[in-house]
Amino acid sequence: MPVDEARTSSLDAKAAAKDDSQDPVYLKIRDFVYQACGIYHSEEKMYLLVSACRRRMEMLGPSVSTGRDYFQSLSTPAKKDQETRELLNEITIGETCLFRSQPQLNALHNVILPELVTERGKISLKKLRVWSAGCSTGEEPYTLAMFLMEEKEKLLKDWVFEVQATDLNDRSVEIARAGVYGDYALRNTPDLYKRKYFTPVDGGRLKVRDEVKARITFSRLNLNDDTRMLFMKGMDLIFCCNVLIYFDVTSKKRVVQHFYANLLPNGCFFLGQAESLFQVNDQFRLVHLPGTTVYRKSAPNAAAGAEGKP
Amino acid sequence: MSTTLRDGLRKRVERLRTLPSSPAVLKPLLELLRLPSDRIDLKRVVELVSYDKTIAAQCLRIANSALYSRAQETESVRAAIVSLGIQRVEDILLTCCLQKFSSGSKWAGDPGVFWRHSLGCAAVAQELAERIGYENPDKAYLAGLLHDLGILVNSLAYPDEYGGVLATASEKGVPLQEQEQQDLGFTHCESGHILAGLWKLPPAVNQVIEMHHNPAKMSEQSPLVTLVHLADILCRLRGLGHGYDEWRSVDLAADPAWGRLAATCPRLEKMDLARFTMDLDAFVPRVQALVESVFSPKVEHSEVALNH
Repeated sequence: MPVDEARTSSLDAKAAAKDDSQDPVYLKIRDFVYQACGIYHSEEKMYLLVSACRRRMEMLGPSVSTGRDYFQSLSTPAKKDQETRELLNEITIGETCLFRSQPQLNALHNVILPELVTERGKISLKKLRVWSAGCSTGEEPYTLAMFLMEEKEKLLKDWVFEVQATDLNDRSVEIARAGVYGDYALRNTPDLYKRKYFTPVDGGRLKVRDEVKARITFSRLNLNDDTRMLFMKGMDLIFCCNVLIYFDVTSKKRVVQHFYANLLPNGCFFLGQAESLFQVNDQFRLVHLPGTTVYRKSAPNAAAGAEGKP
Repeated sequence: MSTTLRDGLRKRVERLRTLPSSPAVLKPLLELLRLPSDRIDLKRVVELVSYDKTIAAQCLRIANSALYSRAQETESVRAAIVSLGIQRVEDILLTCCLQKFSSGSKWAGDPGVFWRHSLGCAAVAQELAERIGYENPDKAYLAGLLHDLGILVNSLAYPDEYGGVLATASEKGVPLQEQEQQDLGFTHCESGHILAGLWKLPPAVNQVIEMHHNPAKMSEQSPLVTLVHLADILCRLRGLGHGYDEWRSVDLAADPAWGRLAATCPRLEKMDLARFTMDLDAFVPRVQALVESVFSPKVEHSEVALNH
């Protein structure tokens, strides 16, 4: 969708969706989506869910005209899985952009990386491994690589870091490798980063510079592939935003278990801002930071303490 | 804290106490509200509230704010009191009293930030209390509202020094009480405790004021203190803090207060904390709107129609 069109229609949709977000049937849909997928719409975000439902209702035609009808389509066993997937696509559409979650980057900059540097300083292992799992068209790994290159100028001075970026979809990985983005994907990118880490290409778009690309290894990976997952060991930070929402509970539990195993002690697991691991995993500690939360693997001594209890 | 320091602090707080004049109707109103609920005469409450136009205006504003939003706009004081409930009216009276106490005096820092945190913590403590089945959510609201009374004391009793404390804490991104301890030698817990004693606030509330940063140090467990302690941390990490970000990570479930509260309210252990945290984001704009409407400098008395 062209940018201007997306903006106007999103403003209209927002106003209309706000009126509907009090309708109890949408609260039912909200709870269903949270139960089934682990993505939660708080009161402030309800209009996003309602407008996603409305777009689906439009596509489904006149037989599905009210929220109640639509809840029916989500509950009918024959259509349920397919429709849930379609709805999730609508919920997450257009969300992807560079520098999507500033609170996560602030938490890294102000708390998590300083802690890591202090802790690692003791054993002089100055290597940082980051994994963007489900990297889609590359916005997240590039953000992380550029962010860490900035950190390398001060806090991470003599550190090395690498970013693993994986996705199931071959085409997404190809687009990610190319690293060319338009205004919409760059809407949150600070000017400093645009100047420093991009070069202009035709059509007013910007291309990620080679020195950024050199920090990232792109590859295709299926998170359900247990064998491949075993080889992703030794991670400090894992990002998996709006990916697990597409998994059923059983495979979600298995994938998160792999993430847990692949993290180093004190390593951090980042989900999308509206996602939660409630009833998916109870090994990770939910940790609060200003404006965001992170799932953390316990340090070995803390874990031993907890396990040591009768 | 040394004896000299304690005496000095006490003197300053006592001097403060003489500053404000509380609304004339406050005393009879509070006496009326302290009666057992079946003996409260609603008509008399409405009369007393309507008598003070500032209080009447604030009751209406609060009843109509998004935080307590009702389907229909409340226009009469009586309807406002009925819809808010007697307990909430008492909270509003205390808020009014505190606001009178602080307006017109020299403040270190921004009073709006103080009110946002106090009202935010009140709302979050009440919400948490309801979710985990704590026996008295209204009490949690009141305790949340007053827990940082000492910040008000410090802002007014130490207007010169306290501005510097706030600025340094904000610049370093450290919890306020740590910077207070370092710069002043005491924290808002101690100064608030002194004023709460002079004001003869209920002992349970005074305990929250004194201990909300150190629930582990209490000899006897108090679910109310631990509850406000957790609500306070959540507020400070979720946009309703002291006007700046505290750069630290907090594992709430590993906090000793969490375990203590769970011993009284077992539903806490099963609570979906991630979802609760996301729900809190809706409080930020609502509390902000309430603070702006209630504590905006120009409270127009004439705007209230006293059609009770």
